[in-house]
Order: sequence, then structure tokens, then C-alpha cells
Amino acid sequence: MPDLTILQRAVADVSRQIRVRRAEFYGLRGLFGGSLCALLPLVLRDSLGWQSFVWAGLCLGAGALAGAGIGFSMKLPAGEAARLADRGYGLQDRISTALEWADRPDRTPLVDALVTDAVAHARSLEGRRVIPRRVPREARFVPVPLALGVALALAPAIPLPQGSLPSLSGARQEDEDKQPERTGNLESQEQPRAAKREDMRRAEIQERTVGPRAGMGGATQPGDLSAIFKDTSIAGQTPDFNAFLKKGDERIRMLEQIDRLPDLQRDFTQSQQRMVFQKAKALRGGLKGEQFSPDKLRELLKEMERLGRKGDPGYSGDLSEGMEALEQGQSDRAMEAMERALNKLRAMEEKGRDGKGLRGGREDERRGGRKGERGQGGSPGDEGDWPEGEGSLPGKGRSGSPKGDPSQRLRTNPFDVGVEGEARSGRKDGMDTNLVGRGGNVPSRLQYMGVLGQYRKQMEEDVAREQVPRDYHGQVKDYFKALDEK
Amino acid sequence: MAQSSTPPQTQEQRVQEFVSDFNALRSEIRKVIVGHDEVINHVLTGLFAGGHVLLEGVPGLGKTLLIKTLAESLDLTFSRIQFTPDLMPGDIMGTNMIVEDESERKHFQFHRGPIFAHILLADEVNRATPKTQSALLEGMQEGAVTVSGHANPLPQPFFVLATQNPIEMEGTYPLPEAQLDRFLFKLRVQYPALEDLTEIINRTTQVREVNVQRVMTGPRALSFRELVREVPIAAHVRDLAAHIVLATHPQWERSPEQTRRFVRYGASPRGAQALVLGAKVRALSEGRYNVSVEDLRAMALPSLRHRIILNFEGEAEAVDVDRLITQIIEAAENMSATEKEVFLR
Repeated sequence: MPDLTILQRAVADVSRQIRVRRAEFYGLRGLFGGSLCALLPLVLRDSLGWQSFVWAGLCLGAGALAGAGIGFSMKLPAGEAARLADRGYGLQDRISTALEWADRPDRTPLVDALVTDAVAHARSLEGRRVIPRRVPREARFVPVPLALGVALALAPAIPLPQGSLPSLSGARQEDEDKQPERTGNLESQEQPRAAKREDMRRAEIQERTVGPRAGMGGATQPGDLSAIFKDTSIAGQTPDFNAFLKKGDERIRMLEQIDRLPDLQRDFTQSQQRMVFQKAKALRGGLKGEQFSPDKLRELLKEMERLGRKGDPGYSGDLSEGMEALEQGQSDRAMEAMERALNKLRAMEEKGRDGKGLRGGREDERRGGRKGERGQGGSPGDEGDWPEGEGSLPGKGRSGSPKGDPSQRLRTNPFDVGVEGEARSGRKDGMDTNLVGRGGNVPSRLQYMGVLGQYRKQMEEDVAREQVPRDYHGQVKDYFKALDEK
Repeated sequence: MAQSSTPPQTQEQRVQEFVSDFNALRSEIRKVIVGHDEVINHVLTGLFAGGHVLLEGVPGLGKTLLIKTLAESLDLTFSRIQFTPDLMPGDIMGTNMIVEDESERKHFQFHRGPIFAHILLADEVNRATPKTQSALLEGMQEGAVTVSGHANPLPQPFFVLATQNPIEMEGTYPLPEAQLDRFLFKLRVQYPALEDLTEIINRTTQVREVNVQRVMTGPRALSFRELVREVPIAAHVRDLAAHIVLATHPQWERSPEQTRRFVRYGASPRGAQALVLGAKVRALSEGRYNVSVEDLRAMALPSLRHRIILNFEGEAEAVDVDRLITQIIEAAENMSATEKEVFLR
């Protein structure tokens, strides 16, 4: 068996080269990390003084040395070094195969020839570097922190924020010390907090108003960040309800005007006239006219007058007549005046709904009460809101179908539910989703690109199923096309 | 004849004899065949690796002539079977015939078919029916054919060289994957270059006699087969071969993207055997005593191209299997311990 020393020496030489290259590689990485760390003492040069340069240099050196040390001491198996030696010297895996097979018990007769051949090749090797230098990616960025560090070193020291947050405690303490002098002990014991608040408010007003007027706004020293936190004094305040009452807040005055207060229990979907009618109904309590007491009737008329105060109800004359009749003790006449006023209310409601109601439908049942009694002159007060007459809708309201007669359009094409007719010419504001004004510059919160495909698919389905009016097809498609162009 | 009467004294001499015989064979074939150096090398590699070779190429490229020349340069028996659709298994393997002996007693006697030869040229093998093709399977894999329950061993070395035409598909029966796998290598015979074509014209259209010498005997070829198996292979080279073969499988978790996308079935373990054996022959033919990564790279295409079955997407995209194998090799080398990994580890 030939001597393997030459092969092992060649492998050791390549191992050394690998370690050196690794040290270079990781040293550059460490240098990059160290250069980043070196920026910190340079930023703190104001407080560290000349020591910041020492610290920066130490960071650089320590990073590079640590990286190089780590790279040099990394584990390197001999077999892999032999592979790299084969590759580096172009030996076609002779050394690695020979070293691997030399000590194997199952080695073939050819292994001896292989070792001899590998040794012969290794003898002819020149001591050249076969491991190429590798530069880490971070090395390209090393000049950036280095240049930044040089700039920091040459530039004047960065002033650090010194001082602290505005301490109101000192002034407060001073005020507390002076308080007994200005006021008596009793008062100071009773309202110590109020006094503090008063002082704080005074100082606050002074800062906000007097300061800027006197040109004190720019008087803050560099690094004095307390100006930023001036308004934090507001957060320290506690609600002062007594001062609130004394000042006579607008909201208190609103409380006095009961009529202006919103009725939170009211159904805002109902009209004013309807509300008045319901109130009248509630006041009557299901009593007939002759069963009304004059007081009850007066209360009812007053309430109707109050509820109808906002607009021009048209029944104010009836109400005033009713009030006069009550004053004269003529309750029947007052009752008639109230009934007239209620009828006028009802007529106004009818007029307001003219042309808007749908023929038939559930609305009929609800409004007209029971089917058989609708329009039959049912007694007032025993039914729903509109107990009398034909109901509030135009026509007779006697359709056999609860939903009314189907239209011709529905019979022809079940898919054609589009609106007939031509589109209104001119700009259609309802379709314009572009924001104008300040909000127009704010980026949309909706990620258009994320949902655009989904919306487009839905649009195409809707257009295909005629769920979009035909005259709007082009406009809808143009809108999505415009989104694509964006 | 390059054969020496005394056995070689040392391993180096054995290897040198192998190299010289290999080169001598190549030279004899080159007397007849112009160009196709790589095909010739791979055919000889298949011979010494102990496998069978499938040659694929359009008609007129000299496939049959190459094999005939090889047979002439070897001191071995040679037979040729022209595969046709009406060829029967008995036509290949032989059949039992009733013969009468001297005592006028009749008995069955096995008449050997053309498969009983050292070198068998199966010309246009994809023209025979699958039944006949499969008759060749047993001989190729087992080195014996069974007729009437009796196994008849084939002479050794037994070397099948089959040809097939890739463009003439009508009336052909494509070889099943199982039979393709029995071939150690699949070689693609390319159209000759201009200089080679000129030389072919000169050689074949003039009065010229070519005498092919017999440079090797059967026993010598068998001894070289044994020598090939003694070539050591390093662990990392062997691992790379395994990585290459496994990387042809789309089910393997580390297989490259191209494999996952275009391959239905990857190479079988026979593919790894063919890869390593071919690499060993290549190393020996270059006078080396060990297998290198370069040997694996050189032998990957003939060893694996017929063992990778493309999926529908691969067929539809007309993926070139050779190019796919090249990409797989690159991916496998990245998977195994590479220089970069060693350096940074």
C-alpha cells in the first residue's frame, strides 16, 4: 500500500485554504455587523465625547475579528476537504476515493492501483490556491454604514433631548404653598382640588393665548420637548359639574325646551300627522266623545296644537275653536272641532301619500284593518290607525290578490325584470363613485385589485340576467373598463 | 488481435489492457462507421457493463452497420433478427422438432433460434408484436430462454443490440416500459455532420475494401466485465447517482420542479445500476481507477432517458427528456453536498 501522507498533506493544504477563505467570508460579515454597531456610539457622541470614536473602532474590529474567528474555527470534515481538493486540482475524485477506500476492508484490488495513481497525481500538484474567494452579500453594503459613520464623525454632535416632560408639580406645589396665604384654612381644606385646577387652567390659557401674542412661541430652547406636551394638562383635569352648571351651558337651556327634545321612543318612519293622530288616540283612551271630561279634551287639544306647531297644520282654527268652546263649557262643540281637526290630519296624510302607494299588497291589510270591514264605515277608534274610509291609498283597494294584479311585464319574460324606458340624459350622480374634495386624495381602504375580479364576474352575471337595466349596461361596463385602465 | 496469452501481473496492466482493447475496438468500428463517436463509445460501454443497448434513429444512419461491424470486430457469434409483425416467439427462441435417431426412434429435439448468439441484432424491434417482443425479455434479463419447460442458457457474453425507428409509427408496436427498462442504455443516433457526410459519401461510393479485425474474444470481454465491477466509487459520487435517480421521481419530496411538472414515472433502480456501471466503464476506458462525478454526468443521458416516462403535460409540451435529465442532474448536484455548502458549513 503506497504511503497516503502525500494525499493527506494535499488535503490539509486545501483545508487550510478553506479555513482562510471562511475567515475572510465571515470576517466581512462580521465587519458589516460591527459597522452597524459602530454607528450607535457615534450617534451618542454628544454624551460619550471622544470615547465614541474608541467605541466605534472597537465595534468594527470586534465584529470583523469575531466573524473571522468563527469562520476559521468552523468544522471541516476531511472527506469534504478531499472533495474540494479533487475539484480544485482537477483530479476527478481520485484523492477522495483513494482516502475513502484505502482503509476499507472490502476494497478491491484496483484500490491499490487507485492509491498509487492518486499519489502520483498529488506529487505533481503545485502549491497553488484552489479555493476561490467568496464575498458575502453583506460585504457590498459595508461602505454604507462606514460612510455614515464617517459623516457622523465629521458632523457636529447630535444634541440629545435633555430636560424632561413639563412638570406641573413644581408650580402646583408652589401654589399650594401660597394658597393658605390667599385663602383661609377652611377654604383651602374644602376645595383644594378646585384651586389646583383653576391654577392649571390659568396657566394653560396663558400658554395658549398670551404666549403666542407676545411672540413667545419661538422662545423654546432646542431640545426642549416640553412644548409638545403642553396640552397634556387637559387630560389631568377632572369633570367639574358645578362649573358646568354655573356657566349655563347651552345643553341646559335645551333641557328646558321640552318641545325641542327628540322623542326617542317615537317611530321616525312615521309622519308628523300620523304621530299627532296616535297621540290623540292615546289621550282619548278609547272613550267616546260624550265620555270625555273637559280636562281630558283640553289636554288633547293642547297636545294637538303643540305637535302641530312646527309647520302649518291647517287645523289650528279648529283647535282654537275647540279651546273656545271648552272655555264656554260647550264640550260637544269642542268635540266636533277636534274631530274636524283629526279629519284634516287624515286628509293631509292622504295627500302626502298620493301617487306613492302601491295597489294592493300587505300595506292594504295593515292600513285598512280587517278585509271585510275596510271601507264599510267601521267605527273610529276601534280599528287601526286609519279605521275609516277606503284606506289611505288611491283607488278602491279591493283587489282580490293580496299583492295586487301582476303587471304585463312579469308575464312576458321571467328574466326580464329590467326597468323599461330610456335612461335620463346627462350626468348621473348616483353612479359617480369618484370622490371629490379632501377625501378624494385619501387612498381607498378597499383593495380594488383584490376584489375587482369578483365584482366584475358578478357584474357580468347581473348584466346577463338583466338584473341591471339595459340602458345602464354600457355605463356599468364602461365603469369596469375604466377601472382596468387605471 | 490484442489479446495476450499470459494473465496481467498487476491491476495497472489489467486496466491498460482494457484501455487498449477498448480503443482497438473503437478503431475497428471507425473503419466502417463515420462519426457517431459518442454512440460507438456508449455501445462499447454497454458491452463491457454487461447490458443491452437500444439504438434509436431514423433509417439510413448506420445503426445496423455499426452493430454488424462491432460483431465482426469481436470474435463472437452474431445473429440478426429482422423484426416483423408476423414474427413469432418461436422464430426467435427456437422450437422443438421431431427427429429420428439412428435407431429410428422419434423424439423432440430443440432447435435453437437466432437468439442463441453472443451478439444479437434485433433490427426494428418495435415492428414485432408484444408477444414476440416479450420473448426477448427473458433472454435479455435472465440469460436463458425457456422452451417447453426447459431452460436453455444463452451463450455468454450475451449482448443484444436493438434498433428502432422513431418516425415510422404505423404498423409498429412501441416497446413497453418494462422491456425498455431491460436495456442498459438507449442511444440516439443523430444525423451526421457535413464533414462526416462527405466522408460517408467517399467511403461508400468508391471501390474500397475494409477489413475489420477481430480484436477481442468472448472470455476476454467477460473478464473485462469483472474488472469493471472492481472499480471503486466514492461515497459522494455514489450519493450523487442516487440523488439523480431519485430526482427523476415526481413523488420524491426533494425532486425539482421540472420533474414534478412533467414526469409521471421516474427511473427504476436499474437506472441507478446502469448509471454507475456505465460510469465505471467510462472511468476505466480513460485509464482511471475510480468513478468521478464527470463520469456520472456523461452516462446519465443514455442510462435514464428511456426510463423516464412523461406525463400528459410533458407530452403535450413536447418536453425533451435529455434536457430534462440535464436539469435534474443540476438539481441533484445542488442537493448533494456541493462546494458552496461545504464552504459555508
